[in-house]
Amino acid sequence: MAMRDYTADKETLKNFFIDFCETDDEGHKRFKYADQLTSLAHREKVAFVVELDDLQETNEELAEAVRQNTRRYTNMVSDVVYELLPDYKHREVTAKDALDVYIEHRIVLEARNHRIPGEMRDPRNRYPPELIRRFEVYFRDLSSSKSLPIREVKAEHIGKLMTVRGIVTRCTDVKPLLVVATYSCGACGAETYQPVRGLQFTPPPACAADDCRLNNTSGQLHLQTRGSRFQKFQEIKIQEHSEQVPVGHIPRQLAVYCRGDTTRRAQPGDHVAVTGVFLPLLGGGFRQIVQGLLSDTYLEAHEVRCLNESESSAAAEALSEAELAQLAEEELYARMATSLAPEIYGLEDVKKALLLLLVGGVDRRPNGMRIRGNINICLMGDPGVAKSQLLAYIHRLAPRSQYTTGRGSSGVGLTAAVMKDPFTGEMMLEGGALVLADQGVCCIDEFDKMADADRTAIHEVMEQQTISIAKAGIMTCLNARVSILAAANPAYGRYNPKRSVEQNIQLPAALLSRFDLLWLIRDQPNRCVPTHIIPDPSEKDLELAKHIAYVHQHGAQPAAATRALPMRLVRRYVALTRRKQPAVPRHLADYIVSSYVELRREARNARDVTFTSARNLLAILRLSTALARLRLSDVVEKEDVSEAIRLVEMSKQSLQQVDENVQRGVSATDRIFAAVRELAGSGAGATVKIADVLERCIDKGFKPDQVDACIEEYESLNVWQVNQVRTKITFIWTVVSRTVTQKEIGSRAVPVNSIDGLYTKEKNTLAVKRLQRQDRKSSKVKGAPRAARRPSANTRDPWSA
Amino acid sequence: MHDTIGFDTVTPDLWLANEQIWKERLINLRHWHKIPLINSNASHNLPDGTLVRFRGMIQDMHNPEFYFNQFEVYNTATNEVKNKSGKYRDTANILENEKINYTENLQSAQRQTMVVVSIPGLNAWAQKIEDTQNHLDLTEPNSSKRLTSATKLKRCYDDTEEDDMEVEQDETCKEQKTKETENRTANVVSREHLLNFPLPDVASKSCIVKIYTEDDQLKLNEMIEVVGFLSVDPTLSGEFQPEKDPLVNPQSENEVEAITLNPPPSLVPRLHAVHVKKLEHCNPLVEGEFDQNEVLKQANSAREHLLKALTELLLGDQLAAEYLICHLIACVYLRQETLTLGSCCLNISNMPTRRYPHYAKQLYDIIQQFVTKSYYLPLTIENMNTMALLPKKDYDCNRLTSGVLQLSKHTHLLLDETQMEQGRLDATGVGNITALGNLIKTQKVEYDFKYYKMDFESDVAVLILSEGKSLLPSDYHVPLRPEESSLEIFDAIVEAATYYLKEDIMNLIRMYLTNLKLVKYTIPDDLKFVEDDFIEMRRNSTTEEPVSAEDLHRLLVLARLVSLSRGHDSLNKECWEITKKMEADIQNRLKNRVAPV
Repeated sequence: MAMRDYTADKETLKNFFIDFCETDDEGHKRFKYADQLTSLAHREKVAFVVELDDLQETNEELAEAVRQNTRRYTNMVSDVVYELLPDYKHREVTAKDALDVYIEHRIVLEARNHRIPGEMRDPRNRYPPELIRRFEVYFRDLSSSKSLPIREVKAEHIGKLMTVRGIVTRCTDVKPLLVVATYSCGACGAETYQPVRGLQFTPPPACAADDCRLNNTSGQLHLQTRGSRFQKFQEIKIQEHSEQVPVGHIPRQLAVYCRGDTTRRAQPGDHVAVTGVFLPLLGGGFRQIVQGLLSDTYLEAHEVRCLNESESSAAAEALSEAELAQLAEEELYARMATSLAPEIYGLEDVKKALLLLLVGGVDRRPNGMRIRGNINICLMGDPGVAKSQLLAYIHRLAPRSQYTTGRGSSGVGLTAAVMKDPFTGEMMLEGGALVLADQGVCCIDEFDKMADADRTAIHEVMEQQTISIAKAGIMTCLNARVSILAAANPAYGRYNPKRSVEQNIQLPAALLSRFDLLWLIRDQPNRCVPTHIIPDPSEKDLELAKHIAYVHQHGAQPAAATRALPMRLVRRYVALTRRKQPAVPRHLADYIVSSYVELRREARNARDVTFTSARNLLAILRLSTALARLRLSDVVEKEDVSEAIRLVEMSKQSLQQVDENVQRGVSATDRIFAAVRELAGSGAGATVKIADVLERCIDKGFKPDQVDACIEEYESLNVWQVNQVRTKITFIWTVVSRTVTQKEIGSRAVPVNSIDGLYTKEKNTLAVKRLQRQDRKSSKVKGAPRAARRPSANTRDPWSA
Repeated sequence: MHDTIGFDTVTPDLWLANEQIWKERLINLRHWHKIPLINSNASHNLPDGTLVRFRGMIQDMHNPEFYFNQFEVYNTATNEVKNKSGKYRDTANILENEKINYTENLQSAQRQTMVVVSIPGLNAWAQKIEDTQNHLDLTEPNSSKRLTSATKLKRCYDDTEEDDMEVEQDETCKEQKTKETENRTANVVSREHLLNFPLPDVASKSCIVKIYTEDDQLKLNEMIEVVGFLSVDPTLSGEFQPEKDPLVNPQSENEVEAITLNPPPSLVPRLHAVHVKKLEHCNPLVEGEFDQNEVLKQANSAREHLLKALTELLLGDQLAAEYLICHLIACVYLRQETLTLGSCCLNISNMPTRRYPHYAKQLYDIIQQFVTKSYYLPLTIENMNTMALLPKKDYDCNRLTSGVLQLSKHTHLLLDETQMEQGRLDATGVGNITALGNLIKTQKVEYDFKYYKMDFESDVAVLILSEGKSLLPSDYHVPLRPEESSLEIFDAIVEAATYYLKEDIMNLIRMYLTNLKLVKYTIPDDLKFVEDDFIEMRRNSTTEEPVSAEDLHRLLVLARLVSLSRGHDSLNKECWEITKKMEADIQNRLKNRVAPV
């Protein structure tokens, strides 16, 4: 590379500082650097920050040169600024400290003693520039430049400006560092200055002033601390973040030297991005003295910036071409879902739900109210169905997450605690897991093992996404915008088919309704699966066996799963999707409304264990916005909504399915009966055509012979009559039939009356529309009336008459 | 041995002059016995700058160092300018009137620094064989070869002890040392602190290895053999820091750190690696090309011997002996995200501790005769509460303080739960128990870096001996069923076993155990019998005894070990049936439990 013309560069910089201006929104011109110079001149500021972005705009080549040889240009800018400063000094500045006074004296003295221009002076007696300058020059790296992993910082980066990220592991105290040492001679009284560039220096042995030299007195030099210039100095050590460390390696560290304004910017444990110049340390440290052949290196900080959690993750990096191509393949949704914990077999829908949890829905804040976008999921299931693995995987995948178990955490540990400082007696707030996981995921394992009192602490977080504290005189509200992923065992350790679903889950409805999706994962041998779902009972087991055998044979997942995306890519793609804020278009409102109404209706027909409430509607909206985000779209499509509804239905089915499996024979008949009754309408003597019944039931997945069995069974019970040609069913309402059915089916299984005047479609639609209009306001209001109506619904039930 | 000529006299300069040729010669060298192995030969008998070898496990990695690859030396007396290289050395080796030119024509390069400790848990027999193989008759080095300028600074730790350090002797040394050091400056740290060995109460050596190539991708806890130039210049010790004036040097380097990272080279020699070889195993009996067919052919005879001995030692319980063999040859062979396959952590319960309180220890004494690396850890409350099992980053000293669980792969860890008594575990104890549980379940150890934790993969076979079912998880649980007749004469059995296991039978077993871990095992594509069996099992499973995917994994892993132990390199129906039978027998035993003896 040819030598750069540094004088020309200096001139360019000078003009740049004078001329550079930005136009703000109102059209005013703002001279960025001229303003800085003015405040420097008036001693209002110390740091002079040159943004390479600005410089690149004016002179791209120069900006690059600065990056390559930053130390030199730092000195050059310092010179330029020093020359420019007098022009920007508009008023007299009062001396702020002793050094200001010293400097002023010196300048005056200099002017008085050496009037002859061009006179050569002994360099030792000349004022070093560092002594008179009270400002510091810093460069800010290009915003487009990528941060370098500490591992990649190599010898070729010496002297260059670069940005590294890491976690601060050690900070020394801020100490004064000698920049210019001033000595006075005991014999002649002359002052000698010694600029110190490193961390150590050797004081000059004798006075070198003319007087002493000529007289050969060699006077003793005394260090004048008041006349010397010191600078704040701090050494910090940063260490690679855990995700930057290759598997099986120890995290590396880098020493950062902060001076002046860059000190006291970070504390141990902070995630920081440090811009600085990578330099070898000459003439310092133990190694230099003893070994002679090593040089320590350090980063001279120009900027130390604390990062918040989302920034510090690798997700901030842009996706590369190859990665985009990898993502562009079809069925991204399904592929990403299977990429979550690929070694866990099956559970596709659960994984899809977890993927949506990571992506999250859109937050809404109409009129200062907040409706969460975060999706909460509860996984419930038998021991050994890989719940904990799923949780652990999500915990690792999510850029910000906390993992706790219900046993080990109290409500205080989850939310926040007020602590008393033992020394000062001050009260301090200490955030718990939920606060720490703000804007992330909080995984709670063994959710069922938590004490009830502690669990209620989560209620507020799950809906309001805040934690209110009123304790020991501290009243505050902390943000806890978290998605909660909980895993729980059924109440008796294992799902007990002899008990009802409610008894098995044993979580309060208030809590259950706050989960957008609730999955029950059962580990059942196949024989329990109804034959109409999977014809061959052993098919699923066979598949599982094949899968496991494949893993052992080939040391890899079967081909279908090997297409799983790498975790890092998923993480970054998810981060990308979170930037989108999709909205629900107006024309979809009707569709959502009718779907919701359908859900409500079904919930009444089937025995709804989680009860469908307005919160489900919100869940559907959240899931659909998350799905739109996953497509990186700004608009929610109809498909998103239907997929969201499908997930909600599947999650409900996972609960219901259990029921059927346990007492399949009765249950199938039971459901057919319910369907028939629905068709028939209310009142004794209603009739239905068997053809209609068949059609309806086959739609619902029953087989004709099951329907026949049902008809016969209830006929024999005298619930209804079938006409001679067997085309019509007529209901007969008798006391006898009621008692028999009750005995037969058990009170648990009494079908809920479908004709409930209070649950008209119109009312539900109205509720939904109102919700929509209010931009999905609180769900509490809607939830309450429904709960209140329930008893009245029961009294109207003809069965209980 | 014409091809070894030169390796004992080569110096870094000679090596550098003809690097390529030297390297080729080294790699083509049939065996490296003639290059002194400092595991077996004390480093203080070797002059500075000789080519030596060291075998060990990477314990820690430091930050890379920038050294001067090329620099100029200016002689003030003769005005001569010489070019020198800092590669493969720590000190510039310059004369009194020479000066290094720090300002011009400097070429910096980077090298990796790693702390390598002698392989933790290496059993005495392996060490002994290695010593005899590698022992060199070293005469006292020529004193002129050693650096004379620094001899007055030199304080040789090793001078007081022999290379075969005994624990008792070690302790007296330590006392001596501490007394000595107390008199000196306050900032001297203990020998144990400097050596930083994972296992307590075991003699060990460590080395700081400087690695010049980066393509090896060495990982923590890997076993390596390093060939490199020895550097034992005493001035390298961090204790010899010149006094500093606080004003002159306001930023003093952390002293503890400097001392810890720069231990006296007599204790921790520096090694400038010219060649690094990763080791798959460290059994000195297994050398040369690995011949899979030969290994499999011999497997059965070795297995017979082993089974016989173990059955006797396990008081006539052949099933337990079968499981123990499987355990001894198990290693992790597949690792994916959260799935780890191959480990076979065994819990043998129902130990006859009432009659033989030290049964577990006696059993271990025999097992350690078979395996290359092992460690016996009594699970006492005190041990759990006081021991540091997990490695932890020490930011004061800036190094990874080792813990017991920092073990290289294929190490056998025996946890003796029969030593456990009732008591209270404190926070450390709970952490340690959790760590052991995690190791067993996932074969991962969580290292504590204070600001975050990092999982490091491990491959440690854990054997738990307990009275009842262990409080730790295990892959396979075998309740021992001792025969009454064997119980009576256990002491005689031990004696007989030692008599039976003659050196050649021993060596056969030792080779068998190491070799089987290297065998490449395949599972045939047609696994109809496995699939059918699984479906059958699922069909018969009840809520009390559920059969899940986990069980099939376990069965397949066990089947692999059963096949391997019998000298088959692929799964066949016969071995599968044996495996099933073994598992069924265990299930039976668990169901019809008998009162402990």
